[in-house]
Amino acid sequence: MNQEDNVNNKAPKRSFKRLLSYARAYPRLLVQAAVLLLLATAAEVSAPILVKIFIDDFVTPGKFPIDGLVTLAMLYIFLHLLSAWSGYLTALKFNQVAFSVIRTLRTQVFGSVIRKPLSFFDHTPTGSLVSRITNDTEAIKDLYVQVIPTFVRNSTLIIGIFIAMAILDLRLMLVCLFFLPSVILVMLFYQKYSAIRFHRARSVLSQINASMNEAIQGMKVIQFMNQQKRFSRKFNRVSDDHFSARMDNIRLDGMLLRPMVDLLKILTLGGLLMFFGAQSLTGPVEIGVMYAFLSYLTRFTEPVIEMTQRLNLMQQAKVSGERVFTILDGEQESFPQSTSSISKGTIDFDNLTFGYDSNNPVLIDINHQIPEGEFHAIVGHTGSGKSTLMSLLLRFYRPDSGQIRIDGHSIDNIQAESLRQGIGIVQQDPFIFVGSFLDNICLGKNINRERIERAARQAQIHDFIMMQPEGYDTIMSERGSNLSTGQRQLLTLARTLAHDPHILILDEATANIDSETEAVIQNALARLRGKVTIVAIAHRLSTIIDADQILVLHQGEIKQKGTHQDLLREDNLYRHMYEFQQQSEELEVLGMEITN
Amino acid sequence: MKIFIDLEWFFRAYWKKYAMAVLLFLIIGVADMMIPLLTGRLIDDVVNQTMTQNRLLLYGGIILAIAILVYVCRFLWRVILFSASYKLAEILRQRIYSHMTLMAPGFFQNHRTGDLMARATNDITAVEMTAGEGVLSATDGIITSIFVLSIMLFAIDWRLTAIALLPFPVMAWYFRKIGTRLHHSFKKAQEEFSNLNDRVQESIAGIRMIKSFGREEFEDADFLKIADRAADANMDVAKTDSLYDPAIFLTVGTSFFLCVGYGGWLVHLQELTLGQLTSFTMYLSYLIWPMFAYGWLMNILERGSAAWLRISEILETRSPVSDQGELTGIDSPSIEFDIQSYRYSDVSEPVLRDIRLNIGAGDTIGIVGHTGAGKSTLVNLLIRQYEGPEARVNISGKPVEDYRLMDLRNLMSVVPQDPFLFTASIEENIALGRPDSTLEQVREVARLASIDDDIVAFPNGYDTLVGERGVTLSGGQKQRLSIARALLADAPILILDDALSAVDVATEKNILSHLKAARHNKTTLIICHRLTAVEEADQILVLQHGEQEETGTHSALIRASGWYQRMFEYQKLEQTVESGR
Repeated sequence: MNQEDNVNNKAPKRSFKRLLSYARAYPRLLVQAAVLLLLATAAEVSAPILVKIFIDDFVTPGKFPIDGLVTLAMLYIFLHLLSAWSGYLTALKFNQVAFSVIRTLRTQVFGSVIRKPLSFFDHTPTGSLVSRITNDTEAIKDLYVQVIPTFVRNSTLIIGIFIAMAILDLRLMLVCLFFLPSVILVMLFYQKYSAIRFHRARSVLSQINASMNEAIQGMKVIQFMNQQKRFSRKFNRVSDDHFSARMDNIRLDGMLLRPMVDLLKILTLGGLLMFFGAQSLTGPVEIGVMYAFLSYLTRFTEPVIEMTQRLNLMQQAKVSGERVFTILDGEQESFPQSTSSISKGTIDFDNLTFGYDSNNPVLIDINHQIPEGEFHAIVGHTGSGKSTLMSLLLRFYRPDSGQIRIDGHSIDNIQAESLRQGIGIVQQDPFIFVGSFLDNICLGKNINRERIERAARQAQIHDFIMMQPEGYDTIMSERGSNLSTGQRQLLTLARTLAHDPHILILDEATANIDSETEAVIQNALARLRGKVTIVAIAHRLSTIIDADQILVLHQGEIKQKGTHQDLLREDNLYRHMYEFQQQSEELEVLGMEITN
Repeated sequence: MKIFIDLEWFFRAYWKKYAMAVLLFLIIGVADMMIPLLTGRLIDDVVNQTMTQNRLLLYGGIILAIAILVYVCRFLWRVILFSASYKLAEILRQRIYSHMTLMAPGFFQNHRTGDLMARATNDITAVEMTAGEGVLSATDGIITSIFVLSIMLFAIDWRLTAIALLPFPVMAWYFRKIGTRLHHSFKKAQEEFSNLNDRVQESIAGIRMIKSFGREEFEDADFLKIADRAADANMDVAKTDSLYDPAIFLTVGTSFFLCVGYGGWLVHLQELTLGQLTSFTMYLSYLIWPMFAYGWLMNILERGSAAWLRISEILETRSPVSDQGELTGIDSPSIEFDIQSYRYSDVSEPVLRDIRLNIGAGDTIGIVGHTGAGKSTLVNLLIRQYEGPEARVNISGKPVEDYRLMDLRNLMSVVPQDPFLFTASIEENIALGRPDSTLEQVREVARLASIDDDIVAFPNGYDTLVGERGVTLSGGQKQRLSIARALLADAPILILDDALSAVDVATEKNILSHLKAARHNKTTLIICHRLTAVEEADQILVLQHGEQEETGTHSALIRASGWYQRMFEYQKLEQTVESGR
């Protein structure tokens, strides 16, 4: 069930409010930004008034007293510098809020994602998850950095300008007022009709790109079937479709966007001039006022246009917001009754049934007990369910029916901390991350140095580490690529030993170890016998032979149980598997590579 | 600017549209210039008290007329200019697509899908922008600047012009400085974003480990550090980026200051009227946009240039395998392999050595061997995906290069190991090679491939959508569909290149027996791992490390006690284990 499909239409409004609410965590910055903004706006809108004064009180009468001139000039310069400086600081404050919000959002989403149950990752492609945490948050960042400050700043500016205009001449201001609602109306109209066209063009483009992609992947097939012309023709049709969809778009844009706004601007100008001219016929007028108004006219039309241009960024941010919130609100792993802990290491699989999807069970009615300190091996061909059994033991998934108990407690009741520390894994292809050897062994837990070195020595990797330039603190390159497979295995062994678990899972699902590494692991295991419960997904014969009990799985069910000797006595699956293993190993030695 | 020359072929083909657009720009330019002029005259009339009602109405009428004229022209040039650039985009898309249909598979191995897609999407957009927005800002900018400057210099006052324009060179220099600083901090911010991406990728890839070791909090802390660095880098960019606005603001403010100051003085000296001063100020504001347009234009041209290079690179690539043959089809073709050696061009070890095999018309041949023995390479030489100087492949005695590619392909149907399904219905996927087939014909081959039962079980049966956006078929189902597809094409030679690997033993047996009956007199090549598939072949070729290890019938090879026999026994045992016995 893809969570992306559960987005309804009410979500956009809610997600927008929610996105804005993140800013509430920074009241001081917001107040500072607000004050600075008011200061900048006041300074900016006062400047044309100074010009008016210059024209009406100096130029028109023809008198230029030096004192007055200098004062006016200084004031003008001061206001400009003030406006520029406050404006700059306002932008910085807004940006600070923006980046803090995004940082919070990102860490929240990340934290949420890594706490989702493993089944979530099985259904969601990695690419799309990464995109949520990085690209979608970038789109939201744009909202905070480009849209919101623009809206706040421009609205304040427009209000400021209209106040200044009203102070100068109320009636002329009213003429200009006609501009605002007209633009808003046009924009609303535009939004309504453009949405459909926009989406249509986008979806055709999607189709084109999908076709192109498909062609690249499947060109071999297209050519072998001699279908090049047919596919080309099909593609050309979609391409032509795209062209007409875009033309549809541009015609609407051309009618209602920039040209329309410019038309309204000129009409407003015309109105101003007419009004001014009519006034002059019936009484005295001040040219300076007209000059100021012309100055204001440019200054408030551009902000309006800028705001409309940011509208589609807002749209994108809303969509991204929805996607991010879907993750935040989605399921998280939780085990509310966790009170117990692991102390001994007895495992009890009780009537376990599980399937990744409900129609195909992977494990059916598994019943098995592993007493404390014993070593049990699980064998089975591909698809037998052995890896799944381990996943269930690690509590990656919940069984469909039945239970797993450790030390008598249901696995759901065990504290996460205890579970993770109590069960250790030695893996075939261990995950080694970018960090030092020390980091990769302790994984962030506080383990004393002595224990770490002891574990490393047991895993026979201590000497190798000490040979590195900075010993345990040497940072490993990406995913440990400068280590051999064997060394990575030993590192993961050291990792597990250092954590001192009660239960150890050995994942030997494929058998690619060199004999030296194998010997080290066997040695370490031998030393743990009796102290640690060992469960092995076994592949190599040497591992299998030593086990206290062997569980033979086939297609999710337990077919046989017993010691190696017991099982060999029956002419059944185990014996054949054993023979098959032997033959595989023989053929490998002979250099006859196995075909699978 | 070179990009305009590169696109000359396009501009020439659509010269009428571009000429029309330029003409419209000129009209708009002239009309726009009238407005400050009219404003100035109106102001002077008011000052000189020569204004009358009629005159006022005349002014109003002219302004209204200009407004409407400009609106219509603006609408028209947008539609005309962008129709041209949109057309360019589609032309390029279609060209790239059809060019790719002519490229041999080697081309697609040399170019990553992501890279090709980037060229077909982002690069086309960049070139389109050059032919659209690029031409727009260049034309508009040039026309506006020339008109405005001419009027300011010649019709009003050149001294005022000089003084008012003083701050602008300073701004240009300052912009360049900001630009360089911005470039660096922007790069840093992109790097941090990349790091963020990588980190998230890594964490999600290792989610099992995170969970099994309980590392959630540790990951949180680590992630916070990276998110912090990203935020800091962004802040750095913001600090520089936010310098643009104040810079513009101060420059424009200074310019107006100088303009009004000096202009007011000129008015006092009666060398200028108040109306003229007003006009001048309005013209000054017209100059602001062209200045920004210039920077933006350079950006677009640069990107368009780079993009065009990448696109033409693709369009000029020639196919690794040429189609120069003239022979057309043949009934009952036979195949002769005479390969001395074959190696991929960049690897020095030969992949195939000393292979001699003759396949008569109507024979069934098995080719087996371990992974990497060279089985698929043999097939690839047959279908001319690769070719080599010492690898001769003949069809009925004539080299494969002598056949027209199209006819060669008609001779053979290949079922690959990893079949490709298109986003289309199951029926369309099967009928890929014969789109005019009837449903009954499709069902017939589906039965032979043992997939008809599976298909009718789907809710929409043969109309079920598969591929990227459709239902996901299992590996075995995909292979069977692919077999049906090849059967429908009904070529004289059928090649199954490890085409049954995902199919279980029983179904495989079924399909093979259907094939045997249906393709009675036709040649079939079966390449596989599972030796039971070739038990009934007329001849079996065992390849080991590129060489012909054994050849013979099944019984002969069993008697020979070589690789074939050992493998056969081993696989029998494996079968037992797999079925749980």
